[in-house]
Amino acid sequence: MSDMTAASRDAAASGEAAAASLSAPELADLLRRSARGDEAAFAALYDATSRRLFGLVLRVVRDHAMSEEVTQEVYLDVWRQSARFDASRGSALSWLMTIAHRTAVDRVRSSEASRRRDDAHAAASHDVDFDATAEAAQATLEAQRVRRALATLTDAQRSAVELAYLGGYTHTEVARLLDLPLGTAKTRIRDGLIRLRDTMGVPA
Amino acid sequence: MSPDLHHLSGAYAVDALDVGERALFEQHLAGCADCRAEVAELSATAHSLSALTEEDPPPALRAAVLSGISQVRPLPPLAGDDTRMPPSGMDAASRHPGSEPTAGAAPEKEGEGPGATVIPFRRRASTWFAAAAAAAVITVGGLAWSPWSDPADTSPVAGVVAAEDAVRVSRTQGPLTADLAYSRELGQAAISVAGLPPAPEGKDYQLWYVGTDETARPAGLLTAGNDGRGELLLEGDANAAAAVGMTLEPAGGSRQPTTEPIVVLSLT
Repeated sequence: MSDMTAASRDAAASGEAAAASLSAPELADLLRRSARGDEAAFAALYDATSRRLFGLVLRVVRDHAMSEEVTQEVYLDVWRQSARFDASRGSALSWLMTIAHRTAVDRVRSSEASRRRDDAHAAASHDVDFDATAEAAQATLEAQRVRRALATLTDAQRSAVELAYLGGYTHTEVARLLDLPLGTAKTRIRDGLIRLRDTMGVPA
Repeated sequence: MSPDLHHLSGAYAVDALDVGERALFEQHLAGCADCRAEVAELSATAHSLSALTEEDPPPALRAAVLSGISQVRPLPPLAGDDTRMPPSGMDAASRHPGSEPTAGAAPEKEGEGPGATVIPFRRRASTWFAAAAAAAVITVGGLAWSPWSDPADTSPVAGVVAAEDAVRVSRTQGPLTADLAYSRELGQAAISVAGLPPAPEGKDYQLWYVGTDETARPAGLLTAGNDGRGELLLEGDANAAAAVGMTLEPAGGSRQPTTEPIVVLSLT
């Protein structure tokens, strides 16, 4: 890789900005080219999605080193599986994030130690975490749109969805964390997601 | 079409089901188009939340990812139609124990030079361990159901299961369930599978001990009966292994794995 000159940094920065706005067909095309072994296309795919993907993995896993490991594992898997992406079943970004989320969640659950740590901290810290997220400069239009949509959920729905998706907890754990009767958390999660979907429309 | 299962769609979309529920729901998904459509929508909706957590990865990660992929060959497209819905996750390959490994062995035909039949193991270690990470560890006490054929018998397999320090690991992937029991004291491991399709003509299922140094050692061949069940006491020293994996190999087995693992269980 070439040196990071000021020019290439600028290029990378603007590339990132542009990348964030790559359309679903463009991402799907990069995946298709990756399936044929096109490493440049895969690099472009990485640039377009790594902020999203790494950020989510880090949010679920918490540990920075482990998040890097998981992210690398996910991209390797995306590369291997790229031919199995089927655009008729969902967007490329959704496909990527599905692999990323499941890998991150499985990693967290495979480690009893981190599970215990999270159990101990989550109830106390998840509100704080979310506030911190809210305070961060989330200037992107999509972030604003998501935040507005989240605001339409009931508190119970929002907490359940956030703990499950961003916290990586099972619905049983979510029920315990929110003092809900066992079995009701999955209903809250589904109701919350349906409301989000209806507010935002299905993402392209 | 059970309404109870239908209500798991949201939790499934955010990976909030436990391993058993997930397997159950995936079986349901295969035959329920409504749920497949709902999961796709709710999953895409859930992923919108990741717009709130964006974060720059360390620059070195990009180089690591790109140098990693340059040494791995993308898998070929699936031949048949894939009725499993979810945008295939990391273990999509392993969800097709009957067909997938054959596809994975394709390099043999493509003249990629000597050694092409063996997918370099070092490059695949993350796959092994990634797959293993998803396995659930079940402690010995309080297991109501036993996957083992006859807990009362005196076979070597039963000996491992009955060992005082025996630990069990279980993994379900689609129709396949694999249960592993291992004893550090005995240095032995035994595997029991259910829902394993017969190996294709000219192929055998082969077990591997995978070391922390990422090497795979052959640990024997497993034959499933007509009922899809089989058991095997693994050959070799379990204490030198970090995981146990199973691949589909040419009849008689290979010295090194030549296909992607069908299932991997971690010896924690």
